[in-house]
Amino acid sequence: MMTIEDPMNKKQAIPELKVHHKSAKKQELRSTIFAYVVLIALALLWLYPIMWIVLHSFRVEFRDGILIGTVVSHYIPKGFGLNNFVNLFQNTLFPRWFLNTLFVATVSFILSTIMTLSVAYVMSKIKFRQRKLFLNIAIIVGLFPGFMSMIAIYYILKALGLTETLFALILVYSAGSGLGFYVAKGFFDIIPNSLIESARIDGATNLIIFTKIVLPISKPIIIYTALLAFTGPWMDFIFARVILGETNRHLHTVAVGLYYMVHGSQYADGNQFTMFAAGSLIVAVPIVTLFLMMQRYYIEGVTAGAVKG
Amino acid sequence: MKKIVLLSLIMMTSLIMWGCSRQDPLVIWVGAEVQEFYEAKMVEYVEYYNSVNDSEFPFQIEVRAADTGSAAATFLDDMDAGPDILTVAHDNLGRLISGASAIQPIQNPALLAQIEAQNPETFLRVIKGSVGGETYTFGVPYEAQALILYYNKDFLNEDDVETWEGIWDVAKANNKRALSITGTDGFNNSFLVLATNAETGSTSLKLYEDGVLENTFGLGDDTMSVLKWGQRFFQDPNGARQPSDSGWEVDFANEAILSVIGGAWHFRAARASLGDNLGIAVLPQFTITEADAYGEIQPGTVFQSGTFTDTKMFVMNRSSDKLEYLEDILLFLSHKDVQEQSYIQNNTLPAYKNALSEFSAMQNDDISTQLAVAQLSMFDYGIPQPFGAEARFNVYYYQRGAPDLILAILRDPDNAFTTDALIFAEMERVQRIWFGER
Amino acid sequence: MDQDVSKHNGFIRFIQNTMNSVLSGGKQYITRFKTGSIGTKMSHLVMGSGNIYHKQFAKGLIFLGLQVLFLSIFIFNPEINNTPIGFKALGNFITLGTEEGTLFGALADNSMLMLLFGVVTFGLIMVFIITYLTNIKSAYASDLLVRSGAKPTTFKDDVTALFDSRFHVLLLTPTIIGVLTFTILPTLFMIFIAFTDFDREVRPGLNLFKWVGFENFTAIFTGTGEIAERFFPVLGWTLIWAFFATFTCYIAGILLALVINKRTVKFKKLWRTVFILTIALPQFISLLAMQQILSEHGPVNAALLNIGLIDEPFAFLSQAKTATTARISVLTINLWIGVPYTMLMTSGILMNVPKDTYEAAQIDGASKRQAFFNITAPYIIFITTPYLITSFIGNITSFNIIFLLTGGEPNVPGNIAGKTDLLVTWLYRLTIEEGDVNIGSVIAIFTFIITASATLISYRRSKAYKEEDTFQ
Repeated sequence: MMTIEDPMNKKQAIPELKVHHKSAKKQELRSTIFAYVVLIALALLWLYPIMWIVLHSFRVEFRDGILIGTVVSHYIPKGFGLNNFVNLFQNTLFPRWFLNTLFVATVSFILSTIMTLSVAYVMSKIKFRQRKLFLNIAIIVGLFPGFMSMIAIYYILKALGLTETLFALILVYSAGSGLGFYVAKGFFDIIPNSLIESARIDGATNLIIFTKIVLPISKPIIIYTALLAFTGPWMDFIFARVILGETNRHLHTVAVGLYYMVHGSQYADGNQFTMFAAGSLIVAVPIVTLFLMMQRYYIEGVTAGAVKG
Repeated sequence: MKKIVLLSLIMMTSLIMWGCSRQDPLVIWVGAEVQEFYEAKMVEYVEYYNSVNDSEFPFQIEVRAADTGSAAATFLDDMDAGPDILTVAHDNLGRLISGASAIQPIQNPALLAQIEAQNPETFLRVIKGSVGGETYTFGVPYEAQALILYYNKDFLNEDDVETWEGIWDVAKANNKRALSITGTDGFNNSFLVLATNAETGSTSLKLYEDGVLENTFGLGDDTMSVLKWGQRFFQDPNGARQPSDSGWEVDFANEAILSVIGGAWHFRAARASLGDNLGIAVLPQFTITEADAYGEIQPGTVFQSGTFTDTKMFVMNRSSDKLEYLEDILLFLSHKDVQEQSYIQNNTLPAYKNALSEFSAMQNDDISTQLAVAQLSMFDYGIPQPFGAEARFNVYYYQRGAPDLILAILRDPDNAFTTDALIFAEMERVQRIWFGER
Repeated sequence: MDQDVSKHNGFIRFIQNTMNSVLSGGKQYITRFKTGSIGTKMSHLVMGSGNIYHKQFAKGLIFLGLQVLFLSIFIFNPEINNTPIGFKALGNFITLGTEEGTLFGALADNSMLMLLFGVVTFGLIMVFIITYLTNIKSAYASDLLVRSGAKPTTFKDDVTALFDSRFHVLLLTPTIIGVLTFTILPTLFMIFIAFTDFDREVRPGLNLFKWVGFENFTAIFTGTGEIAERFFPVLGWTLIWAFFATFTCYIAGILLALVINKRTVKFKKLWRTVFILTIALPQFISLLAMQQILSEHGPVNAALLNIGLIDEPFAFLSQAKTATTARISVLTINLWIGVPYTMLMTSGILMNVPKDTYEAAQIDGASKRQAFFNITAPYIIFITTPYLITSFIGNITSFNIIFLLTGGEPNVPGNIAGKTDLLVTWLYRLTIEEGDVNIGSVIAIFTFIITASATLISYRRSKAYKEEDTFQ
């Protein structure tokens, strides 16, 4: 697969290495400086929008006594304050939206995590007849564009009498979550089968093996799965918007509510960007903190998933 | 772990129980800007109901903020989930009643009498619809709306805004844009499409007149001249444009544009953009030049910008199980006093006739009165969207792409409409869409 | 090698397998009826009687209960929203409703619910058949146990088995139920919709729609109308987008990872964290902010104006003068979103580049550049190929970026698809915003075929899949 030895190089490279030893050091210094310059520039580029949102959320500028809510062209605000946050809590349903999202996220992350790990474990460690078939179906089924079938999902939920409750959203988020078993399966695959077999010889049932032996050593993947399941509802807005309806403002999640602050319909008072920024900050801070705290697990999961394919 | 599972199970079960055990409230959809107002009004109504009747009002009432532009469509998607009373613009009437009607006609004589007594003739015509050979009144008008001009008083004075050319000249002198429209739909191009000869007040344009599909015409010499004028206006770097990605509010605040065509629902945003510099006027006139003249229309002919004049009305969900209570509520909510209170609190324009002279609140000289006066004045130059008769008219006019084609003629980004013949051919296409041909 | 060949004809093999299992199932059915006890014979008519015969009352009653439940649904046709589920639903599925509704009295039949409930009823029948076969199998299993001198399993045994030998049933059931109701059922429903005339003028409950066969497909693929006119440009741009979005992010991500992982660079974790921030930030926030930052009066335009690079605000996104400008803009912003992922991925891989070969090469005197191109690069490419394919697929269905940044604009006059619309955003507009559900469904099916075949190809070539075969 990989050719590493090239006889031509071998002959020429050795004297080169010696001759350029000193300048090589200099070159390395130069390339290090270059790397730092690139990194700093890129970091600024990546932090620029984030900083911009933060600054906007605290921006308090007035025009003839009216708080300016739209985007302004100067980067650094001319005045700071908490007016946007106060507005957000007093004049919008944001607190309600926040609790809605928190509720949906909590319940659906518990359900999703249980379901995802269950499926992954079964697909990885339990041998049964139709296993391969299930595996193939699971991979194909997950590919149909989800929101395409939203209209049908809406009516199924309605037939179940659930359309105007947050429970509908919880079902939508967690029902299919088992299909996202792939990364977790990759993790379970690494656990040696011998571990499980020796437990079985000791008389442990499959339930005991799963809960007492496999899960305790699977902390990284549990956290990875839970992290994604918990943050999902905070980020999705298409499903939340269609399933819970645009008119039910008290049933919005934060994403839907905040979206309408920027893109109000033609008949609504749109473009309250500073309030959007304030709301975004309130949503983003816990989520980002959670992410950074769990960074290690996230990276492990992502890398494993990618390499496994 | 077990505890968590158990806990979540209990939580879910109780949620389902709660979801199933709730009693249906009586739901009313109104525009977001008046939601609080009507919520308070409904509290008043319940008090009133309880004092008149011996019994308590049997339902909880929820007044929800809904987007009145899309309310009809949302409602038709799922009637059962819809409210008991909803607010729609009158031009949605057609699609609500075509085929099997989704809304209930008004039968309460007191309410019918109040509607007849309160509203101007133009509205009375468009809230009625013919179903199975019988004509019924379906809607209860309670707000009116028309397009007007918002402008920047720093740059423009009252004389400038009498004509588009006046605004255009100032824009040229300051290297700004004269105008932004707020959206690209068929409502926004009405200032040109519905323009009338300022002298005679007439236009050859016809849109489904008397509810007849064939009574539609958009190829008159005057329409062509107006479009050619509009093309010059939209193509000029200092002329008219669509809103930028920042939004028209930001364009307005940054003085990139000097005026905006909008409705009352844009007032708050416009005021936030310009503060005390916000001016309000009726839509300006404009003069056809040599370059625009087409057919019989002589250079120098003056046109007055037009608008659709709408009424927002309450309608009743036909599948509501609370129908017997609804008409009494509407009688209360659409009363002229409530309309005036709503005007004072929310700047909504009353649908009541002679509001200009009858409502004391309209005699002030502040910006919100100017808003009302400008709109009421626009009613002289506007026509109610005449699509009430049939659902498909509305679809043909708005949804089949005709507004985009008109905007394409006006903006002409690829120089595809440089000759009269090309514009005419495109308008023929537009007219075919209006007729419902694909 | 022979095995390999047969593996690639998976579809044929699948058909064969299915045929075989149906045949053997049929044989079993007959054998069980012939050789089974009287209880088993009874089970062919009354579910659960075999179990009751063997005194497995709980199990038998559950089967019986299921049969009663199913038959009562099937016969009594309970109605939800005035539309029946049951055998009437099968007829309704064919007609899609006949009652046109009167003006103020009855509503029209709800074609959409009839279609949906038809699918549901088919599903119920399938579930019933499976339960029915399970019931016979269970009765026969007890027969065999008794014949061999053992006792039939008790209900407690069966429940215990769920936690041990049949643990996979317990673990998979919630997911199977969830996926059947909220993924497969709706998907089938939407596929059927593609064969109807459910467009923007249909309002379920007020007027009917009907089956039209392949009309929608021919309208898109061979027609000359607006939809057909837009379809191929949108498809083309979708593929171009997916290609460039994947490779730009891939290359830039690898370069970034290389810089961060450079031996002499300090604070590696800090640098990485900076970029992870973007992943953690909900996309609707970062994209809506980006849209405003790049807008005509946003800070970027202000800065460009200040420097004097431009004289008037430049439109990057939906108001862009040319489609190419808008497209380059969304691809660039996509870099901001996508690069951190690739960076993370390749960082992990870079640390795992086999050290010994690397060192060997160094000792052999290979220069850094040579070492990179001969060792690191092939290794990275080799190991990330599956990721490349999944991310290509992900980009085909990448909804948020286009929807939140441009909404598909700049628009093409007279058409509903804009110049940055991808298949998925276009079908969102068509279905959710415009109500042309039938055309949207055709596009969804098409998108599904593209992504599914790409996935299948990549998956079947992947290491994971090949290892799968050795597993059992």
